[in-house]
Amino acid sequence: MEKVIIIRYSEIFLKGKNRGFFERALETNVHRALKGFDYQFIKQSGRYFVRDFDQTQTETLIEKLKKVFGVHTLSVALETASDMDSLFEAAKLLARDSGTFKVESHRGDKKYPLTSIEVSRELGGRLLAHSKGALRVDVHEPSFTVRVDIRENGVALVFTEFIEGANGMPVGTAGRGLLLISGGIDSPVAGHMMAKRGMTVDCLHFHSYPYTNAQAKEKVVQLATVLSEYACGVNLYNISVTHIQEAIHEKCKPELMITLLRRFMFRIAERHAEHIGAQCLITGESLGQVASQTIEGMTSSNSVVKKLPVLRPLVGFDKDEIIQRSVKMGAYEISILPFEDCCTVFLPDFPAIRPKLCDILREENKLDVEGLIAEAFTTMEKCKL
Amino acid sequence: MIYMDNAATTKPCEKAFEKARKFVTEQFYNPSALYEEGYALQSELKKARSALLSKVADETAFELVFTSCGTESDNQAIFSFARRGNAVTTAGEHSAVSAPFIELKNRGVIESRIAPLQKDGRVDIAKLLSLVDQKTSFVSVMHVNNEMGAINDINEIARLVKQKNPRVIFHSDGVQAYGKLPFRLSRDIDLYSVSAHKLGGLKGVGALVKRKSLNLPPYILGGGQETGKRSGTENVFGIKQFEYAAEEKFRHLVEDGKRLEGYREKLCSLLDTEVYTRLSPVDGTPYILTLSAKGLRGEILLHMAHDKGLLIGTGSACSSNAKTRYNRIVLACGYDEKTADGTLRLSFSTDTTEKEIEEAAAILNEIGRDLKRRMA
Repeated sequence: MEKVIIIRYSEIFLKGKNRGFFERALETNVHRALKGFDYQFIKQSGRYFVRDFDQTQTETLIEKLKKVFGVHTLSVALETASDMDSLFEAAKLLARDSGTFKVESHRGDKKYPLTSIEVSRELGGRLLAHSKGALRVDVHEPSFTVRVDIRENGVALVFTEFIEGANGMPVGTAGRGLLLISGGIDSPVAGHMMAKRGMTVDCLHFHSYPYTNAQAKEKVVQLATVLSEYACGVNLYNISVTHIQEAIHEKCKPELMITLLRRFMFRIAERHAEHIGAQCLITGESLGQVASQTIEGMTSSNSVVKKLPVLRPLVGFDKDEIIQRSVKMGAYEISILPFEDCCTVFLPDFPAIRPKLCDILREENKLDVEGLIAEAFTTMEKCKL
Repeated sequence: MIYMDNAATTKPCEKAFEKARKFVTEQFYNPSALYEEGYALQSELKKARSALLSKVADETAFELVFTSCGTESDNQAIFSFARRGNAVTTAGEHSAVSAPFIELKNRGVIESRIAPLQKDGRVDIAKLLSLVDQKTSFVSVMHVNNEMGAINDINEIARLVKQKNPRVIFHSDGVQAYGKLPFRLSRDIDLYSVSAHKLGGLKGVGALVKRKSLNLPPYILGGGQETGKRSGTENVFGIKQFEYAAEEKFRHLVEDGKRLEGYREKLCSLLDTEVYTRLSPVDGTPYILTLSAKGLRGEILLHMAHDKGLLIGTGSACSSNAKTRYNRIVLACGYDEKTADGTLRLSFSTDTTEKEIEEAAAILNEIGRDLKRRMA
């Protein structure tokens, strides 16, 4: 008896003529997730099978597959001959020692001598007898369900669990976005949410070395690596905004430091997005979370982005909800490491909460915006994950 | 690259490394083995033990137990003897001492009493003594403060403590002192922690010096090595390399100290007083110079110095991950947060040259003035 992993996909089956496009993306992403393992991949209508893998690695494989967007559920099934004795042997291995249960059968092989209901009844009866009273049947709210799938050519799959997959759409089917990633909690979650809808995500990080340190950069590398497991590989770009911050500090009103800096970041991000073929910017902004994330703050930074949409998947989320998602994706522990990611030495005591565009433009006019942006681009480096 | 973070760790002594090499390539045996190749190594360990101990203590009154590091030595001393009543330590201790104190306090084992520091980084002896009473079971006072370079007169402090309560077990963390200061342990000291990698040995080797008559309960149990006091197969290579490295250091201890004191003062005199204030005392260890660039952040200067080829510290490298941004020892000396935030620690080794001192001063002046201008 061999373990087989069943992969069932989510929304893709709703697709019409372009279904093949989505299926191919999902297949590619499954192979990517299982890179380095030996296995056989079998396609069937509406689901895939992974088999012939090292059985001791089952848990690891499942953990990898749980991160593949587009997968609805997973099951670890025992593959056995479809005669009743073999089905019973497999069911015995999967059944719990006590509690309530039911058997659900599905018959792909219509030539099979018993109907689905007869298979369930017979197998349930045998399990019940075998348990010597420890098990009881409850078809409405069983504590576990033995599921039998009788396939053609005399083979059957027996399993008990549906493991929740990552759902969403396969990455690679919804364009490319550039995520403005900090070392905080929000931006990796924002990237995760867009990847869930099938978007390929690249990351852009702004640092202000020597005001911030190398550990802060390393933290972003780690966050991008976590995101990369879901987003099927991300590119991480680093740009220094040290000179921009120094110029703002030297020439502009201190309360507008963050507002002006963010306008630079968005300008740089849009240009870089166009350069790498990204079709939108993604940020982790959540309305009202900090002074720069008021609607006025968002308007001021958004107004420098001329061509691309800025997607803010977290805009309506509470911090608690974002933290929950961060924990679930495995980024939270990294996000809360105590390295400062954005220069705090230039932070004003009282940042402008509702900056007016006329004030911003007046202050910005004191700066050589184009020169500073061009200089920032010379510091660009692509990080290895 | 100029390396001036030797209080964090110093370059292993290559001469000692070569001399000890055979304990990796040829005599790699387990010293507890029953064949000659193995048990012959016991005498090598004995030689190392004796050589390392005799540098600081009378071998008739003290013995030496090998451990894996200074932190382990401190932990063993504290967890073995701070077991009832109250235990007294100072606000200047390395976290290898302060963290076990906090743990024992949280477990409800002891009442933890912390003596304050003077402005120069030494413990306030009068206040320390006022904390010692008949219920005090353990006192720990570090020998040389790793952040400030201040030297505590531990023989005198131990004498005064024992005068007040002779039953106290007195421990000192000697990690920054061993192999750097001319010093011998008085019989008032019960336990003394040392570490190999601060004087040219390897990371992963340390020792706890203990008074012979003191019964040290084991902290790590197992095969009964170190006469049952610290189990675990001995790191023969590491221990022998430690022995040879220490020999090198102790040979010219006094001359090296004088030379480095001169360097330290020269560096200090070359610094721009508009930017830097000296925090470490003139009578502190010659190996450490602590400065503050008040109003600037030490960490930014550290990065800027790095880019100019100078490696320095902002304090204890072990605590730079701590959530608190300010140097707690500098705060404990009574300085304000801005001074603590601007702390830089330059620490030297016997390899440090006069040319490096001059170059380091030039770099520090350049980056200090530059950052001050940028932050203005």
